[in-house]
Amino acid sequence: MLSCEGDELRKNAHTRGICERRGRWGWAFVLPSLVFFGLFSIYPVLNALYLSFFQKHLLSTAPPKFIGLGNYVYLFHSPAFWNSLRATAIFTGGAFSLLVGLSLILAVFITSRRKFQRFLQLAFFSPAVVSTVVAAAIWLLIFDPRGIANQLVNTIAGTPGVDHNWLAAPAMLQLSTILVYVWKYVGYFTIIFITGIGSIPRSLFEAARVDGASVWQTFWKITFPLLKPTTLLVSVMAMIQCLRTFSTQYFFSQAGSPRAPIDVITLNVYYTAIRNFQIGRASALSLILFAIMLLLSWLQFRLARSEEVSYL
Amino acid sequence: MKRVAWIAVALLAMGAVALAANPVKITFWTHEDPNRTPLEEEYIRRFEALYPQVKIERVTYPSAKIAEVLLTAFAAGQGPDMFNLEINDAYPYLVMGRVAPLRPEWVGYPNVDTILGAYLEGTLDPVYRDGQLYGLPLELTIWSVFVNKKYFREVGLDPDTDYPRTWEQMMEVSEKLVIREGEIIKRRGFDFRYPYYLEELLPMVEQLGGAFLSEDGQTAIINDEAWLQVLRYLQQWGPLGKNLGSPTYKAARSLFNFDRNEVTMCSSGFYQIARIRNDNPAFYESGEWMVIPYPVFENAVRDMAAHYYGHYYMVNAQSSRETQEWTWRFIAYMLSNPEEYLTKAGLIQPRKDLLASDVYAAQPFGDVFAADMARSSMVQLHVANPEFKQLLDDAVKAVMLQGVTPEDALATLRRRANEVLAEYK
Repeated sequence: MLSCEGDELRKNAHTRGICERRGRWGWAFVLPSLVFFGLFSIYPVLNALYLSFFQKHLLSTAPPKFIGLGNYVYLFHSPAFWNSLRATAIFTGGAFSLLVGLSLILAVFITSRRKFQRFLQLAFFSPAVVSTVVAAAIWLLIFDPRGIANQLVNTIAGTPGVDHNWLAAPAMLQLSTILVYVWKYVGYFTIIFITGIGSIPRSLFEAARVDGASVWQTFWKITFPLLKPTTLLVSVMAMIQCLRTFSTQYFFSQAGSPRAPIDVITLNVYYTAIRNFQIGRASALSLILFAIMLLLSWLQFRLARSEEVSYL
Repeated sequence: MKRVAWIAVALLAMGAVALAANPVKITFWTHEDPNRTPLEEEYIRRFEALYPQVKIERVTYPSAKIAEVLLTAFAAGQGPDMFNLEINDAYPYLVMGRVAPLRPEWVGYPNVDTILGAYLEGTLDPVYRDGQLYGLPLELTIWSVFVNKKYFREVGLDPDTDYPRTWEQMMEVSEKLVIREGEIIKRRGFDFRYPYYLEELLPMVEQLGGAFLSEDGQTAIINDEAWLQVLRYLQQWGPLGKNLGSPTYKAARSLFNFDRNEVTMCSSGFYQIARIRNDNPAFYESGEWMVIPYPVFENAVRDMAAHYYGHYYMVNAQSSRETQEWTWRFIAYMLSNPEEYLTKAGLIQPRKDLLASDVYAAQPFGDVFAADMARSSMVQLHVANPEFKQLLDDAVKAVMLQGVTPEDALATLRRRANEVLAEYK
């Protein structure tokens, strides 16, 4: 087979020609997605970066006023910004750990079933395809003071008539948003883990069984270490997903909940741009969120690289 | 009414001259209102029949969404040719030069003063700037209090004599009317309209001598004692106090019509009457509801009802001049039917001729709304109103739901409101 790498390429002009032609076709195939990515991902980031150095009223037709790092300085001195960081950290910490942990447990549970595997996958995945508006509407009904959440908890705890303030008390409100998010996305990450488990060679499990390994040992010595690339993928995706959370907090705040406990950075971006018309400041805020995402993703990759495992 | 007929004839004449003009497409964005939609769709049909070169596309959005949909459209330079918003949200468009002025001759008036003279004094102030008019009112709304008389009698109160006249009585009566299962409210006596603080909360502060802005508009939060009394009242009202209502319960106004033992009193405007008729004709006909004046505090220094606000039809300044002209003509054509808006959609255009008409006089509780309007004023207007509303929302929820003291909530409100003001200086 023709190799387009290393010595052969350097020695053989004919091979180099073929490789260059292949490379051109490669670019041709990749170009549409590069253009798409550039237009809808890179350009908005660059545009936001540019806008973050200006003061601009969203409705004004006047040219934006250059203020350098003024928006960033304002944000770092703003209590609302630090509250948003705190709200984002609480939400991400809670939702991320539950999402990764629960989806792994569910994946192992589903793959260990002999029957109903497909049904269980479908059942857990289905909330991911429900629109966010519908999901929020359903959960607002559940968390309503007269809704199922209070009834269920009061029946279990034997505390009739207690209002647990799911949408009102700060801690409960944070818990409510985490619950909604985990409910919506746990099935999605479960499917990714199931795919990861499916790619581990069966022979390793069979060998472990022959050697008398318990289920617990099989999980910790085979499944979990070999799932590391999948776990990394899930944790990076879940982390980014959690940091980008918006809809649940938005709908809850629209439904009467206090904003401060759930004022995650994205919600703050929305209010700064759409309610307060400060598009430059909102851009600075979104750039800070982008930097946080980059940093956390890089950290995860660094940590994962130091513990690579292979039994093959 | 003669003037209305005259305007319609003038419009027809002007339109005939323009028949040979180029086709004009008007995009019209408005909020959902099931009672208004058939009426305006009929006006569109008739207008298009009169002027075949004009095509009008009417698009509706939920009330809670239209402000942000419109804002993003305008920010992208893709705003509709005409729209209406609650004046708090529309005012920044005017200040930022995003809406086009009306030329009186387009709508059959000789000058702006004649138009101003046709409307109740002050009701066009929000859209009047530098001698020009930037909007015409679709509706002017003031909230009074709707009462379900049946529930009053159920707890031994006579609705005709025991209805609350003061905020203190409102709390007292609500304590009698509320039904709870443990801490969970099954029926509320009264509850506020929480996001509408400039219309409903600010008058409470003003009754006590306070204000949001100083007279020169340079300082926010005037008279701490007035603010603190109102914040303490709301703290007592909420789940951490007497547990009479909360922003997290479904809006009292939307439950009132159904008469399902969920709410006894709510604040709403004249339009609520048409909605009761549509939602629950039996309750509408039952005579078991009434409208009472907006209460005042016992120690009030001013007799002040809820602030009234308006929805004004406005025209996009970025539309072509010809489109602007036709859009204003269409707006004037629609609004030349104030009696139909009143009787079919429950919307009051603040026109002198309408308010003096027999049709208005025959409307149930029209006198209560008119009396409340007489002791009220237009909602305070500022380009940062959407942000001020949010700050008030934060303060109210902080005391009602988060256990923040009224003093701390007020300190935060003052700091943030003055920061916002400083940015607009």
